[in-house]
Amino acid sequence: MQFWKRLQSIDRRWIYLVVWLVVMIPLIFPFKIKSVATAPVESLFTYIDTMPENKGLIISVDYSPDTQAELQPMLVALLRHAFAIRRPVGILALYPQGLGLGEDAIRQVTAEFNAHAKSGADSVISGREYVFYGWTTPPITPMLGMGQHIAKVFPVDYYGQPTESMPAMRRMKNYDDVGILVSIAAASTPLSWINLAQTQFGIHLGCGITAVSAADYYPYVNSGQFTGMLAGMKGAAEYEELLEQGMVKRGMDWKLRRKGTEAMSSQAAAHLAIIAFIIIGNIAFFVTRRRKS
Amino acid sequence: MKKRLPLILVLVTGIFGAVTYFIPHHSIQAADESMRNDVMRIIAAFSLVLGLGSILQHHFHKIQHKAQNWQYSWLTVVTIFVTGVIGVFGGMDPSHPGILPTQIGSFSFHMQTLYMNMLVPLGATMFSMLAFFMASAAYRAFRARSFAATLLLAAAFVLMLGAVPLGRMIFHPLPSFAEWILAVPNTAAKRGINFGIQLGMLATSLKILLGIERGWLGGG
Repeated sequence: MQFWKRLQSIDRRWIYLVVWLVVMIPLIFPFKIKSVATAPVESLFTYIDTMPENKGLIISVDYSPDTQAELQPMLVALLRHAFAIRRPVGILALYPQGLGLGEDAIRQVTAEFNAHAKSGADSVISGREYVFYGWTTPPITPMLGMGQHIAKVFPVDYYGQPTESMPAMRRMKNYDDVGILVSIAAASTPLSWINLAQTQFGIHLGCGITAVSAADYYPYVNSGQFTGMLAGMKGAAEYEELLEQGMVKRGMDWKLRRKGTEAMSSQAAAHLAIIAFIIIGNIAFFVTRRRKS
Repeated sequence: MKKRLPLILVLVTGIFGAVTYFIPHHSIQAADESMRNDVMRIIAAFSLVLGLGSILQHHFHKIQHKAQNWQYSWLTVVTIFVTGVIGVFGGMDPSHPGILPTQIGSFSFHMQTLYMNMLVPLGATMFSMLAFFMASAAYRAFRARSFAATLLLAAAFVLMLGAVPLGRMIFHPLPSFAEWILAVPNTAAKRGINFGIQLGMLATSLKILLGIERGWLGGG
């Protein structure tokens, strides 16, 4: 009895220590987890993979550093995918916090592709393969304005270069030239894209969101308003798995680092620890309650 | 007039915003485009100044009156000015230098360097603490005390196990079952809630446009 009672009122620092260990150890000694793609992830991947050649991809970086562990692998994977299939990409941020993360992902992915480029035509260059539009406010301005004329909303890119004359901009003038827009967000921004951009211009949308908010987005995935969805680190890892298979098929077996997949071992261990905590907590609760009564 | 003018402005701009959605005439669409691309951006720029003024006023007031933890207010004020100056005059990174030299030897304090090495770790640290609190809360509060709590516990259990490879090993269809919980019962409940929220938003918006709800004017 005493044991179960003590277990119920255990010092929370012991719990913190266990959580720290189960998160840290798999990060230092990762174990391989094979991700099996769920329907929303597969749907987004297939849609982008089979997009017509004259259509581009726009990614809206609508998150801040606090959720980057979950969401940044999605941005990296989407950029890799678009560059691998040679589709023009536009990247924007609806909030200034997303700019630095967008810039970091662009630098990483362009460096990866340029390291494997055999000629100038194979390289990934700002303005030619992609445009980093940057940030403008308020969010309604790019959401609606890009449906009419993207260069009017973003006359210069993030680096201060005029956008109108860029080759990538000539391929993507407005939403008519966009195959899909993916909003990666920690807040409800993807829903604003539905309310404003999709209802008015009929653009296809996808979303990348934190695991905790996944439940809020399923109604929109089921209704077809979102073509696909990446939910949390698990969604990112599943997309990375599909992308690697696709890149190998295209002869790009580059063995790129997959941060989402790497972190899955840590996340799986943390989930199991929390499940164990719930079981132990409930056993202790029922044993003490029964003995009391 | 002090109250009537904002109310008229809200009524006119609110009706205009809704009307542009239904009238495709080029003059209305051109006015809407100008509203979004010019007027709203100018207003947003003013709100930035207002926000900056407000935060500085708040922290200078704290410093002046030596309020609780006033020392941290200095940190906020200094950080605002330093990042502001580097952001406006300094370079984004070594390949995009600005007017202000932001590199001393190998030590760089460009905007991107500051962002990646200060804001990213700080933000990630704050958010990662959630894992510790969640684990502690799960241990102490997640109890099967009633039928509803047991149902919640069972759903959470399936979803968590479905998200890890062990779930598939224990029971192969478990991940699909977890997906079904999210896609069917969750969607049904969420749709009901969303309908309620949207109707509430519509009613509140109309009340604001028609001047029935005036809380936004301030003054309690």
